[in-house]
Amino acid sequence: MNRKKDKAFESPLHITYLHCFSIVAFTTHQVVCINNINFQRKSVIGFVELTIFPTVVNLNRIKLNSKQCRIYRVRVNELEAPFIYNDPTLEVCHHESKQRNLNYFSSAYTAAVSAVDPDAGHGELVIKVPSELWKQDDLKVLKVYIEFSLDQPKGGLHFVVPDVEGSMAERGAHVFSFGYQNSTRFWFPCVDSYSELCTWKLEFTVDASMVAVSCGDLVETIYTPDMRKKTFHYVLPIPTAAPNISLSVGPFEILVDPYMHEVTHFCLPQLLPLLKHSMSYLHEIFEFYEEILTCRYPYACFKTVFVDEAYVQVSSYASMSIFSTNLLHSAMIIDQTPLTRRCLAQALAQQFFGCFISRMSWADEWVLKGISGYIYGLYLKKTFGVNEYRHWIKEELDKIVEYELKMGGVLLHPTFSGVKEKDNPTPHLHFSIKHPHTLSWEYYKMFQCKAHLVMRLIENRISMEFMLQVFNKLLSLASTASSQKYQSHMWSQMLLSTHAFLKSISNVSGKDIGPLIKQWVDQSAVVKFFGSFAFNRKRNVLELEIRQDYTSSGTQKYVGPIKVTVQELDGSFNHTLQIEENSLKHDIPCHSKSRRNKKKKIPLMNGEEVDMDLSAMDADSPLLWIRIDPDMSILRKVEFEQADFMWQYQLRYERDVVAQEESISALEKFPTPASRLALTDILEQEQCFYKVRMQACFCLAKIANAMVSTWQGPPAMKSLFTRMFCCKSCPNIVKTNNFLSFQSYFLQKTMPVAMALLRDVQNLCPKDVLNFILDLIKYNDNRKNKFSDNFYRAELIEALTNSLTPAISINNEVRTVDNLNADVRLILEEITRFLNMEKLLPSFRNTITVSCLSAIRQLQKNGHIPSDASLFKSYAEYGHFVDVRVAALEALVDYTRVERSSADLQWLLNMVQNDPAHYVRHKILGMLCKNPPFNKATDSALCNEALVDQLWKLMNSGTSHDWRLRCDAVNLYYTLFGLTRPSCLPLPELGLVLNLKEKKAVLNPTIKPELGVSSVMDTNYFIKTPSMGLKRKAETPLGSPPEPGQVLQQQEEDARGGRYKIRFNTMEDEDIDMETVHDSQAFIHHHLNLLERPSTPGKEPPSVEQSMLSMPATPVPSFPKETTSSSSKHGAEHGHHHHHHHHHEHKKKKKKHKHKHKHKHKHESKEKDRERDNSHAYSNSPASGRSLRSPSLSD
Amino acid sequence: LDPGRHDGTGSLLKIGGKAATSPAENYHLARRRTLQVVVSALLTECGFESAEKAAVETLTEMMQSYITEIGRCAKAYCEHTARSIPTLSDTVVTLIEMGFKADTLPVYAKRSQRMVITAPPVTNAPVTPKALSAGQKRTHPAHIPGHFPEFPDPHTYIKTPTFREPVSDYQVVREKAASQRRDVERALTRFMAKTGETHSLFKDDITAFPLIAAQPSTIPYLSALLPSELELQTLEETDSSEQDDQTDSENAAGNIISDDPGADKENSMLPPGGVVPSAKASEDNVIDNPYLRPVKKPKVRRKK
Repeated sequence: MNRKKDKAFESPLHITYLHCFSIVAFTTHQVVCINNINFQRKSVIGFVELTIFPTVVNLNRIKLNSKQCRIYRVRVNELEAPFIYNDPTLEVCHHESKQRNLNYFSSAYTAAVSAVDPDAGHGELVIKVPSELWKQDDLKVLKVYIEFSLDQPKGGLHFVVPDVEGSMAERGAHVFSFGYQNSTRFWFPCVDSYSELCTWKLEFTVDASMVAVSCGDLVETIYTPDMRKKTFHYVLPIPTAAPNISLSVGPFEILVDPYMHEVTHFCLPQLLPLLKHSMSYLHEIFEFYEEILTCRYPYACFKTVFVDEAYVQVSSYASMSIFSTNLLHSAMIIDQTPLTRRCLAQALAQQFFGCFISRMSWADEWVLKGISGYIYGLYLKKTFGVNEYRHWIKEELDKIVEYELKMGGVLLHPTFSGVKEKDNPTPHLHFSIKHPHTLSWEYYKMFQCKAHLVMRLIENRISMEFMLQVFNKLLSLASTASSQKYQSHMWSQMLLSTHAFLKSISNVSGKDIGPLIKQWVDQSAVVKFFGSFAFNRKRNVLELEIRQDYTSSGTQKYVGPIKVTVQELDGSFNHTLQIEENSLKHDIPCHSKSRRNKKKKIPLMNGEEVDMDLSAMDADSPLLWIRIDPDMSILRKVEFEQADFMWQYQLRYERDVVAQEESISALEKFPTPASRLALTDILEQEQCFYKVRMQACFCLAKIANAMVSTWQGPPAMKSLFTRMFCCKSCPNIVKTNNFLSFQSYFLQKTMPVAMALLRDVQNLCPKDVLNFILDLIKYNDNRKNKFSDNFYRAELIEALTNSLTPAISINNEVRTVDNLNADVRLILEEITRFLNMEKLLPSFRNTITVSCLSAIRQLQKNGHIPSDASLFKSYAEYGHFVDVRVAALEALVDYTRVERSSADLQWLLNMVQNDPAHYVRHKILGMLCKNPPFNKATDSALCNEALVDQLWKLMNSGTSHDWRLRCDAVNLYYTLFGLTRPSCLPLPELGLVLNLKEKKAVLNPTIKPELGVSSVMDTNYFIKTPSMGLKRKAETPLGSPPEPGQVLQQQEEDARGGRYKIRFNTMEDEDIDMETVHDSQAFIHHHLNLLERPSTPGKEPPSVEQSMLSMPATPVPSFPKETTSSSSKHGAEHGHHHHHHHHHEHKKKKKKHKHKHKHKHKHESKEKDRERDNSHAYSNSPASGRSLRSPSLSD
Repeated sequence: LDPGRHDGTGSLLKIGGKAATSPAENYHLARRRTLQVVVSALLTECGFESAEKAAVETLTEMMQSYITEIGRCAKAYCEHTARSIPTLSDTVVTLIEMGFKADTLPVYAKRSQRMVITAPPVTNAPVTPKALSAGQKRTHPAHIPGHFPEFPDPHTYIKTPTFREPVSDYQVVREKAASQRRDVERALTRFMAKTGETHSLFKDDITAFPLIAAQPSTIPYLSALLPSELELQTLEETDSSEQDDQTDSENAAGNIISDDPGADKENSMLPPGGVVPSAKASEDNVIDNPYLRPVKKPKVRRKK
């Protein structure tokens, strides 16, 4: 490629061409062959071969996705092909940048991700098709063969190699693929898009003692000639997107499902009995989905693999799912059973929608997540019952409402009308939702939650039958398409778009759900209702007032129908009201006159007739209770005001668990004996849903505390617990455990925890209660129980923790054993014994240790024992069970916040960077966000420049191997510093701007992105740092002679010497709006021509113009040629410091200088620079190195 | 053990000890003292003016042995002839047997220079401690005359039932079980803590609440997921005991029914140990699953 062509590429016009790339060629088949997996070195060697159909003539280059792979050679149809490997996401902003504001980072990051977005036809790997192949007129199939290797991959593949004696198989070493969204590019070159389908042939050669499990059908397994290894040959004839391809290799134990022989389960050595038990149920889930979808499972086989150190609990790929091994459990464990089954059901739902049917684009993600979440909900309803289902829906609704009200809306179907940043549909967020890779994890979870809730809304609208018909139709279309030979229009039936989904709905149901989609899908935010009512006795009318808050963040206005259910004396009546623009009041005529027939039974909504004690109600009103939107058919929060007795009636007599739960939360505000009675009654009511009863426990504790001065009788729940769980003959001793009745079990677990929250008038936990809990621990006897009591014991420890209150401290004395409170001594005694026993007889998932650690932290926090982090640190180390580590880390995060310990914060951040377990790294950042050591509103000694730099580095380059982790780091940065430049940083050079016109000095709003240092560019742009002459006006008062243009200056202070710095005077130009980076980039472009000229003395345009393409690239400082040698690394780093000193010095001299880096670098040398520059960045030298040397490039 | 018996043996061991207080000991000491007096008298008779204590002691011992032997032997002769109390002739025979000329005895007894010693103080003869009576002695069967000796205690030849009144109070039992377990656990963990590395929660007193130090393990999920042997053991026990309770639990099943379908479902869904139905197990042999197929041998290269 000659330079002219390069220039052409730089022009923005060319973008159009590149965006069209996705239709200039199609991958139809891909071979992945990994012929060596080295567990010792954690490396992988293999090749891929893509079969590509060009759809245009003159296809001269092919872009593929590849990250961290070392590429040795590329051949197209047997001809060596030159290639370039460049990944702008490795380092988002060049590290010399002094930019520290998050707005700037976010847009730069989005730009970097866009630059390699496969959906837009981009990629990190650009292959030049040899001219012999594309200069002909006919369209010939291209076979692209790429040899690659991976060395100690940080993302994409995870090696678990326990450090013990023995062969790899004996050690239980295994490796598996992982990632968030499309992350397959991390372990082999591909078109890493959900919308690019092809068929697959997968070959994996592994040690003879290992099994390789991958997607598709295992055709055969063949020994290698030396008989020491075997090769697994998989064929996946169903067109599948690369992100849905996975692999796991390990010495797995194999279990063929006894009910379905096509289903095979794999677990790590020794866990087979657990696997047998945990999987004994899977066939029922299969049957359920196949039945409701009236469609067979689309793949010929299904595999479940259980691995250690899993990235997420469940991840689904074509015809296989990878689970965390911690989901396995024995028959003795109660609590884990429903959780594991839920995970299995989720995985299977995603097999149909997500793996088999893939998405057309990122904006259509909600449909797939929505459908899989929705059918998973149907499974929950069938298996765990309607109560559990409704409870779950309420829980999910509360979650999304809380999130949206706090963080601003969640948008399911973003449309990006233009390339302009200004069109950002979610300006309230500190990240872009344009790509899955820029989303915060929390947001993505909420996104999925909202998606399935919206599907449920659609179901409400068009009925479940139609809903299932739509799914069936989508699946049949896809399976017809999947059996076809490659025909582009057919395979696209396997991709689901919002449009196709809506069309299908309208075809099947004939209903228009446009308004619904507009409200919940095309628009973010939820609805917030406030309701109150008055009863008009004269007219016998209920005057209901429903107001909305649609101005605060995360809220929207709702217009449309709303259902209101009124329970009157004569029965329950549904009313549908129309919420309109200006009508707040709604008159609802009542059916019953107030209390005519006192003796009559009262009919409920479900037809049941019950006797009620009506003495509590208002004699003038026939209303028992009122519910707004009882079916949860709006994504809303309702704050409804009704009298306490109405809530109590609702709790006692309304049969819907959601209503019961709502009334329990409402009753917290009414601490009266009547509320107490209602709650106690529900607690005793065995027909009542157990989760409602559990919630009632906590509410009762709150009410008891509020009524502490008037409380009569024993502490709340004590007599109840005694009656339910203690021996008849000796009420202080609990019965020996028998957990056969699960409702009782859950109640037995919960009540002590709630009781421990009781406080007496001195605000201490009553002595009675503490002794009671200690007795429960003492007399706990599980010998005759067929279930494990580990969760129960863990809850008892939690109860002890809850009973703690702050120690009375005199003059901050040091906590010693001697001044330990007697009660606390007892508690500590128990905790010590529990924690020590766990070492000898570990409990399932080490639940006891987890509880003990949080108890110890609570003791420390309340000042009973000296605050100390070392215990938690030792439990947080790699090598403990993950739950234990997370518990210890949580305690550490809390310790860091309370003690403001910078050493411990460093310790945590160090673990974020170095821990082998990805989940733990993710979790630490998540916990730091939840419980931050400080935040943008507070001042803290921890908040300093070094920390800012460290975190910046972490998100900028340290986390490039894990999309999720990078977004976590962004979140943390946001939590700590906000969107703008952190306040703890010294003001940039131009801290004061003297405005002579107005005769005042103003602080330079450092929030604004600094233009002067560096910037990021989108694809096809070379960033040019703008240089602007200093405004004389501003300069003169500072006493510095304006330096026109640039000055080439030797840096005497530079110890390494001989380096030249190009200094620029630069200053923000008032005339130009620099609010956003986008604008600044526009500005940059505006000035491109000007800067293009090599006007810099001593700076020559690089002569080796080898680039065949302009690459998306991050800016690199320009160094004279001699520094491109290995010393440039130091040069780059020290140069940075150097600038610093220099600035200060010049500040003193009242001289304003700024450096300008000209980025007229070739990306090859950037690549080199970066590779040496940055230890975090994955070194990919052979790829770039080779391409540099590649002879064909010099043509 | 019975305290009385214990004392009896103790007294024998403590002969010559200073603090002898029990009546049995007193009796024995008095006899011994008399013997010593006799030996001393004989020595005087023979013309000794003084004797070392040890010599007197030795002689006393010899004398005692001699007399004891005469007694034992005489008793043996008498029992040999199916009597229970020795007669004069038994004693004579014994003396002769022991090489003593019995006919010289009257002369010796009547010698002139013999010394008369005072009578030994009257002490109460030791009461032979009652043999532990346990259980009912058997009566003679019909064919054995009533005057025959009684049967000994049954525990001496049949069995020794040593049961105590069981504590049947539920509360006490639970209390005891609970504190016993707690004590064992505490002792065990303290021991473990003392023998290994520990964490301490307090700076001032490291031993106050010793926590066994956390040791990272190489494969942490194994111990966290697999049930411990103890748990498996209890599971087996409860499984077997469940069979006895079968009828019981069937009755109880009616009570467990509730309106929570989730939990109910689970009840039925948890097969013990995830056992695969046996009918299915036999089918396993014919399952065609690609992962169960034998690994193929590499193809021999035909070309080259």
